[in-house]
Order: sequence, then structure tokens, then C-alpha cells
Amino acid sequence: MDIVILLVVLVGSLGLAVVFGRYIARMIIYEKRPLEKTLGRVENGFYKIIGVDKYEQMTWKQYTLALIVTNAIAAGFLLAVLIYQNNLPLSPKPGLSLDLAFNTAASFVTNTNLQHYAGDQQLSIFSQMVGLTFLMFVAPASGMAAAFAFIRGFIRKEFGLGNFYVDFTRIILTLLLPIAFFSALLLLFLGAPQTLDPTITVGTLQGGNQTITIGPVASLESIKDLGSNGGGFFGANSAHPFENPTGVSNVFECILMLVIPLSFPVAYGHLLGKGRGISILAAMLIGFGVMLALGFSEQSGPTGLETRFGSFGSALFQESSIATNTGSANASLTGMSPNAVIGLFLGMFVQAIPGADGAGMMMMIIFVILTLFLVGLMVGKTPEFMSMKISPRDVKLAAFVFLIHPALILVPSVLAYTTESAQSILGEQTTPATFTQVLYEYSSAAANNGSDYLGTSANTPFWNWSTMAVMLLGRYAPFVLMLAIAGSFTLRDRKEVVEPIKTSGFLFVGVLSIMVFVLTVLTFFPFLIMGPFSM
Amino acid sequence: MATKLKQAIFDKRMLGDSVTKLSPLYLAKKSPVMFTVEVGFFLLLAIGLLPNMSLEFVNENRIFYIESAIILIVTVWFATFSESLSESQARAKVDSLRNLEKEVLAKKLVDGKEVLVNSANLKVGDRVRVYAGEIIPRDGIVHQGRAFIDESMMTGESNPAFKEKDNPVLGGTKVANDSIIIEITSEAGKSFLDEMVGLIESAKRPKTKNEIALTILLAGLSLIFIIVVGTMLFFGYYLGYHMDISILVALLVALMPTTIGALLPAIGVAGINRLARDNIIVKSGKGVEAAGDCDILILDKTGTITEGARRAIAFVPMEKFTDEDIAQAAYAASFSDHTHEGTSIIELANEKKIEPPFMMEIMTGKPVEFSSETRFSGIEFSPKKKLSTTQDQTLKSTLPRTRVSAKVEELEESNTPVKILKGSVEAILKIATNVNEPELRWKAQEVSKSGGTPLAVAVNDEIIGLISLKDTLKKDIRTKLDEVHVAGITTVMITGDNLLTAQVIAREANIDQIIAEAKPTDKLNRVVEEQLKGHVVGMIGDGTNDAPALAKADIGLAMNRGTAAAREAANMVDLDSDPSKILKVIKLGKQLLMTRGAITTFSIANDVAKYFAILPAMFMKDNPKMEVLNVMQLHSPESAVLSTLIFNAIVIPMLIPLSLKGVKYKPELPERTFIKNMMMYGVGGVVLPFAGIKAIDLLLSVFMR
Repeated sequence: MDIVILLVVLVGSLGLAVVFGRYIARMIIYEKRPLEKTLGRVENGFYKIIGVDKYEQMTWKQYTLALIVTNAIAAGFLLAVLIYQNNLPLSPKPGLSLDLAFNTAASFVTNTNLQHYAGDQQLSIFSQMVGLTFLMFVAPASGMAAAFAFIRGFIRKEFGLGNFYVDFTRIILTLLLPIAFFSALLLLFLGAPQTLDPTITVGTLQGGNQTITIGPVASLESIKDLGSNGGGFFGANSAHPFENPTGVSNVFECILMLVIPLSFPVAYGHLLGKGRGISILAAMLIGFGVMLALGFSEQSGPTGLETRFGSFGSALFQESSIATNTGSANASLTGMSPNAVIGLFLGMFVQAIPGADGAGMMMMIIFVILTLFLVGLMVGKTPEFMSMKISPRDVKLAAFVFLIHPALILVPSVLAYTTESAQSILGEQTTPATFTQVLYEYSSAAANNGSDYLGTSANTPFWNWSTMAVMLLGRYAPFVLMLAIAGSFTLRDRKEVVEPIKTSGFLFVGVLSIMVFVLTVLTFFPFLIMGPFSM
Repeated sequence: MATKLKQAIFDKRMLGDSVTKLSPLYLAKKSPVMFTVEVGFFLLLAIGLLPNMSLEFVNENRIFYIESAIILIVTVWFATFSESLSESQARAKVDSLRNLEKEVLAKKLVDGKEVLVNSANLKVGDRVRVYAGEIIPRDGIVHQGRAFIDESMMTGESNPAFKEKDNPVLGGTKVANDSIIIEITSEAGKSFLDEMVGLIESAKRPKTKNEIALTILLAGLSLIFIIVVGTMLFFGYYLGYHMDISILVALLVALMPTTIGALLPAIGVAGINRLARDNIIVKSGKGVEAAGDCDILILDKTGTITEGARRAIAFVPMEKFTDEDIAQAAYAASFSDHTHEGTSIIELANEKKIEPPFMMEIMTGKPVEFSSETRFSGIEFSPKKKLSTTQDQTLKSTLPRTRVSAKVEELEESNTPVKILKGSVEAILKIATNVNEPELRWKAQEVSKSGGTPLAVAVNDEIIGLISLKDTLKKDIRTKLDEVHVAGITTVMITGDNLLTAQVIAREANIDQIIAEAKPTDKLNRVVEEQLKGHVVGMIGDGTNDAPALAKADIGLAMNRGTAAAREAANMVDLDSDPSKILKVIKLGKQLLMTRGAITTFSIANDVAKYFAILPAMFMKDNPKMEVLNVMQLHSPESAVLSTLIFNAIVIPMLIPLSLKGVKYKPELPERTFIKNMMMYGVGGVVLPFAGIKAIDLLLSVFMR
């Protein structure tokens, strides 16, 4: 049975990825999509409203700036909603504290969805449905747009990386919204509620009345998983029966999380050669396979797990969620076995197996560039990617991308201990388990993942501000560096020269996988040993 | 190698260098990795020497810190040693080159008298006389006289060029006949040796792009490990482990890519060095590195693919005559011709065991010298005295009589002087009319088709036949070019010859493309064209007209005997003027990159074992669960740290020979090379330290009780 479920998830997400990958490829090169005329009309109307010239092409700097400004505006909007939700309609609740509001705004705009609050208790329906759900579209759309621009850097020559506003609009209107809409309907059908009433009151078996929190769950749930967001309506996230009612919804949500990240290599294959796309997809799946194997290798629970899903269903959902940097959870992390947790860490350390919508693909290409650098040296050729020479600047920027991640995880973790912030919420005595929680918190923030052990207990100024900084740096610093790489590649000469080592095929997949593994494990091995391994 | 190494070790200057290079200031600038190791050394030394250091993170005994510190500084010294070693080798080469530098003696005209001066001392405006067979000392113009000048080494044109007053001549070309007076028009060329000295003084040696990229990558890795080890100190402390500074420093040094960091400078110098050993002077490391990427090679036919000097390969008799006739006549006509072509004709005749019966006459005959007006050469003899004839009679009977010998005899008997001459078909036709001209022309064309140049031979007014002269392929060129093909490089041959001849040579030498009847601008055009298509172009040149193409090409190898302009434009110069050496340069370029890649991979792969050696030492005392990691079962935490550090240090000198010699390169598919190198340096890099560290630990455990 387990194996069937696993196959359904893999085949289902891959099958959909083939369809959406093709569509995304068309979006990247502005080719005709199905219903182009109708869609075009809707989009054009939208461009008119926001005053965008859809034909304008941006340099990498303009593109990055547009992305950051748009994100800042969206984050500002959410910030205001959260602080002033007491004055806003639909079941108003007290406004959030400044640090929590900032943390939450940063968390949702960076596609992280780290939640230092309990959604059902602390947020109004308006905050959830308008504020959070809106950002749940903005964040993945920004990530995907960045990946569009990044990929264009390798296929275009000297006419910019595209137009951020156009990409952003098209991704939301013609990709995320329709899929999210249909997924919401399906979730509704599977049992998730969708209502504007904040609570329902039901009679219990004992004859008393119970008030149950409820709301527009299905709509938030679908984009939560589709957009690698992960911020649940309820504090219990996908372990809550309203968010994830049955085993079937569990499988469906897994597919929803995996589909867009897996579509990117497919799109890449359409644009830069089928073999290359398949090879990157294969490398991602190998990494994901390692995570799954770790998850299944040891029985998790039973405490902390939902009996509906069991050890297998929980491990499958958790590993899928962390692998795609979605960060939703259908079980408590404390219930997961040490091996499963090591698997989760692996996903957050690599960020590209398959990683978040768009961001995962970019990260994988950075791995590819570094791999090619070493491979090129090994065969005595100046390293090339797509027949373009890899310059010292590319290596420098890529090295920074790799440097940022451990720095953002490890340095704040040390700060959490030296400022006694960790001890104050986890106890004076530091154990491998509590160390794992601290490490996990910052790994999750740096990888823009969002799952965490700490939850509302981390709602202190230190944790709110520090994770906010880590989330912002973990999102935008790599974006800037990656787009800078794409920006310089797009100026480079394309050559019709045979690649010294093919960027496809078994050899390449093998080397790439080993490279990903070695670079990650060498960096984080001691911490995995001190943390989850010693639990 | 061993003796060389021994010599090097006793080279005081080199040892001195390796010690001065230990200066933290130098290291901070040149090698951040080694600098970090040295900081670790100072830290541990301070802890070991300063009294009363009782810190939270210092738990081991004093001697252990000092031991570790010593190993660290030795590690750094190994790095500076390898760099100094390769530099001293380069220096030795430069010194020997200086001694070798040859200058031509020129016959300068002072007040109408010839004075021997060194070519280096010639000034613009000086006039020198150059005789047949001598080399023109420097670029100039013909002041007086006219001559054929062999410019094959410059222009690739194998036919000598005719020069008269006011025509420019190139330094390094050879006067083929007559003598001319030349007025020098160019300044003495700049010495490339000076540039070379600058290059090996690594302070001035600009890093190549790949070197920069690798240095950045290594610095990035080092920074990551610094963060890793730095934060481990805190986490370990809070988790209740007894963290020790020395173990952390050891872990950091072990993890950082010290091996490649230490050997990187040496590899770069060694590359330039190895080229210098082959008498190639490199003007920038960039060219060498680009050579590894070369995928189009533009080669001159003459001098590169072919010998550049034509040899006789066949005799073609006219209808009336036999092979023997033409061979005898050719022999006679070439007897006093001591040029390369002439001797090759004699050799060919000897090979065929053909010798004219009238040897006596030939030996006593009067040579007809080649002159620019007549354009033929040969021999002339008058009828002999009776005495010699009788002597000859006996000889004649033993040798088979041929038409030619009969004709010679006949002529002698009729008291007519005999002239046996050879020259171009046109030139001979002017003096010899007794021939079926269509037949001659057709046969000459056949010779051309087979890639040869026809020379006609006449006895007095009758043409006997043709000699087919051909520019023969260089020895080994076919194998060399086959290798080039396997490495995925396309070859283009450029020649002034007609298409027919060029095609023949191309087929014989396995050349992919040809540019026949090339004009001087064709080379540059082709280089630019290929570069636009994205190819990395290598080319060889020696003429002034090559200079633009040499400058444009990614790898430009100029011949030392070429013009100053060519040498100036190219990024390397071959002192031996052997154009096929460009293949060596390509191989070396690949080797350079491969060596860097291999040692980097090795360095990173080593980290796996080092984690397994040091982490148990760090944690096992306080956490029994770590026992699982203790796969190496080392003697004690101290011995684990020391043996890891020792291994880390001795790997450097062990790899010095590899970095100086370079990773073996075999022309084959890149995939194969990659898998081979990955197995050797990647997998080997994982396995070797497990064995090495364990072995050192076993040794140490004997001393550590």
C-alpha cells in the first residue's frame, strides 16, 4: 500500500510537471499559450491599470529591483494589515506586536511562512484571506519570475532578462490562480471547509456545545502547497483535519507541493535541450529519493503523528514539504525519527532537490555551474556552461551563494545561544534535541522553508527579528547574486561548439548528484552529528 | 627527478626564498588558505609557550600544542617550498637560455670593407653583405645586387623569392644564391628572455582567469569551513563537550583545501617552466591556458606539416627514355648542386642504384651555377683526351649502356661540349627544344597533381625527363595530427600551393580543411571567422604578414627565426622554430588545467576521511553515541589529530612531482579522461587518507605508548 501511495505521488507530480513544464517553457520565452487571446486581453487590462509597458525588457539590475520593490510593497501591505487587523473587517482580532508583524510579513513575502503565531487564534479572517493569501501568490510568483529571468539569461543574447511585471502578472493570473482555484475545489470536495464564518458551533456527543474555528481554509490550503508557501490556516498546519482531511488529501497535497518545482526542469529541458532537462530532473529526484529513504528508514512517532497518516504518510508528506521548501507539516517535528529529521535538514541545506518554486531550479543551476567548473578543469578545458565560458566572476558569485547559506544558519544559531535566547525558551540545559530545534529554526528561515519546531514559543523579539533578517537575506541575497550571474551570461557569446563533457546523461547526473551531496555534507556534517544524530 | 630534487634542495637561494615566503604579509596576499594555516600556527604556538594559559578551551598538555604548531608551520613551509622549487627551476632554465642565445655574425660594410660584427650590434642604416647560404641578420631592404631568397621559414612559400634593389628582405631568411648588400631598417628586437624572467618572478606573474576562479572558489570553501569550525566551538561548548582549540584548529586546517592551496602557485610556474624546457618562451600564462581549449588549429603547410625543403621523390622519363636515363642525367645535373634539393636527387638515384657511366667526366666537369637570370643549374664538360677514353672503355663495358650514356658518348665523339642541366620546366624549355612539348606539359601536370613540383632535365638541347620534387611530410607529423584529432581539434592547413597539391598533402597528413593559394590576409580572416563561431584558435606564424593573425589568435606561437613583428604579436615564441611544437603547447595547456582540477578534487575528497578522523577525537569522550563514527579506530584523540595534520602536511611534498610534471594527458574522449581522473583523484582522494592517517597513527602510537 505504502509503495502504491509513493508511486501515486511521484507519477502524479511528474505527470503534471510534464504538462505544466511545457506551459512554463512557453511562458519563459513568451510563446503562445492556450487561450492566448483571452489571457492576453485580461493581462493587457492589468498592465494598463498598473501602468506597465509590457514590451519593455529589463537588465538584471532593473529586474531585481522591480522584484524587490514589488515584494517590499506587498510586505508593507501585509505588515499594515497585521498591525491594524483590529480595525479591519471579518472577525477582527488584536493587532500583532511590531516584531511579530515584521517577522510574519518577511516570512510570507520571502515564501518562507515561518509562523511564530497560531493562525486560527491570533489572526482575523481578513488577515488570513486577504493578507496572507495574497502574499502566498506574490512570493512564489516572484520566485518563479526570478527563475524565468535566470533561465532567459542562458537562452537570450543581449536583450535583457524579460519584464518582471509581465512575468509576475502572468504567473499569478494564468498559472497559480487557475491551479489554485481547481485545487481548492478539489480540497473542498475532499472535506476542507471554505467559509467566511470564523467559527461554527456543534453539539458534542455528550450533549454540550463546542465552538470550532473555521474559515476559508480550502483556498488558503491550495496555494499554500502549490506555491511552496507552507503557512497553515491553523497552528497545527496540515495535521489539522480541516487542512488535510484524509489520506487522499494527504497525497493530493504532496503532489501539489511537488508539481511546480518539478515542472521547472521540464521547462528547462524544452528550452535548452531535452537531455539537459531530464538530467537536472534526475539529479533533483535522486536528492529527493535520499530524503525519502531517510524518512522511511526509521519508524517515526507514534507520539506527535496523526494516526490518519501514520509513520509512512507523515514521512512522505514531511519530506515532500521540506524538499520543496514548502514547510507545511502534517505531523509534529518532534514526532519524526532522527533519520527523518536528517533528511529534512538535507532538503533545507541543499535547497534544490527540487527546492521551492523557481528558487530550487536556480539553486540547482548554480550547482551545475560549480560542477562544470570542476569537471572542466579535470578534462583540461576552460569550464563552460551552455558553451559559454564560466568566468571568475561567476565563480565568485556562485561561491557567495554557497557561503551565505551556512553563514545565515550557523552564525545566528550561535547568537541565539550566546544571548541566552535559545536557553530561555528551550531550557538551560542544551541537549542534542534542543540544539536540533535551534539549528532547524535558522535552517528553515535561511532556506525559506518555514517549518519549525519552535512555533509560537519563538514569538520573542530576538527570535522574531533574527529570523526575519535571516529570511530576508536568505531570499534576496542569493536572488541578487543569481540574477547577476544570469545578467552576465546573457551578454556572453553563444557558441556552436561541442561541450567537452555533455551536460546530460548518466555521467553528468552522477557527478552533479555527488557534487551536491559532497558540498552540502562537508559543510553541515558536524552539526548533523551534534544535533539529530545524537538525539 | 630524484637528483633534480636533491640539487634543488641544496640550492641556497631557493631555500632562502621558501623561508622568506613564510612571511604572513606575503601569504595573506598570495595564498589566503596558507595564511589561515599560519594564523593557526601562531595561535597554537602562543598557547603552547605562554605561561599559565588555562582557558575554557585549552585542555591538552603544552607539548601537544607545540607539536601541532610545528606540523602547521611545516605545512606552510612545504607550500612555499614547492613554489620556490618551481621558480628555481625556471630560473635555471632562463640562465641556460641566456647562454644559448645565438647571434649571427654579420659582414658589415665599413668604408667598402667587410667587418665582422655581431648582429645585435647592427644599427638602422648599417649595410651588410650577405652571401649565398648565409642568414640575413635583420629586416632590411636590398641596397645592391639581386638574389633568390629562401623565405620559406617566414612566409611558408617554398619557392625562393626573387629580390632586387629596394625590395624588402626579412631578418632570418636565407640568401639562396649570389650575394646582396642589405641596408638594415629595423631596431634590434626586444629580448623575450626579459619577459620570461618577469613571468617566473611570481609577484609579477599575472594569474590566469581559471587560476583566479579557482582561488576564489578555494577562498570561499575556506571561509565556509572557518564559519563551520568557528561555530562548532560554541555549539560544542553549550552541548557540554570539552572543546579544545587545538582540535578545532586541526579540523579547520584539515578541512581547508590546503593541498591545492599550497601547490597552486607551483603548478602555474611549472607550466611555463616545462614549456621553457622545450625552448618555448611564454609571454603570458593566458596563452598557455587558452591552449588547453584550442579546438581549431591553423597550420602552415611548409615547415609545419612538411619539411619545408623539397626532396626528389621520383624520376619521370620522357617517352623515348627510361628511368635510368633520366636518373643518370639528373645525377649528373645535380652533382655539383649541394642544396638540399640537389643532394636529395643524388640520394634518390643512389637508392635506385643508378649511377651514370660517365662519372669521370662528371667529376672533372665544370659546374653550371644557378643564377637568377638563367634559372637552371647543372654541369658542363668538354670532350676528353684519348687517354681517359681508353680507361673509360673498360668501365663502360661493365655498365649497361643507356640512351643517355650513348648520347653523351656520341656528343663527345663529335667533339661537342656536353651540358647537362636541370631547372624549372619553363627555364629548360627555353634552351632545350628537342622535346614533345605536349607530353612534357602533361607529365609536369601529373607531377603537380601528385603534390610535387616538376624539374626538367636536359642534355644539351634534348629534354630527358622530369624530376618530381616534393615537400615531404615531417616525420611523425601524421601521428601527431592523429592525436590532435582524437583530442577533438580541427586542423586547417594554409598554403600558397595550388589546390591540387594542397589536397594531396592534406590527405597524406590527415588534415581536415585547407586554404589553398592563400593570400597573406587569409590567415587573419580565417582566425576571426573561427573565433566568431566560438572556436579557440591556435596558429603558428613567423612572417610579418602573420603578425595580425598571431595577435588575434588565442594561441599564437611565433618562430624565433621569424620577424620581430611576428614575435611581438604572438603570445609565445619557439626558440627552435619548430612549428609542430604547438601541439606540445596544447597538451601542456590541458595538463595545467587538469593538474589543478585533479589536486582540487583530491583536496576536497580528502575531507571525508578527515572528518572521520577528527570528529570522534573531538566528541567521543563526552558522547558514546559517536562511537559509530569511529570507523578508523585511531589510537587516541591526540594521535588522531597529529596523524591527520601530519598526513595533511606530507601530502604536499608528495604531490610536488605531480604538480611540476602535470597530470598525465592522453588524447582521448573527454568523458574517458574525466572518469579516469575522477577515479584516481576523487575516489583515490577519499580512500588514501583513510589508509594514510591510519598508518601514521599506528606509527605514532608506538611513541605515544
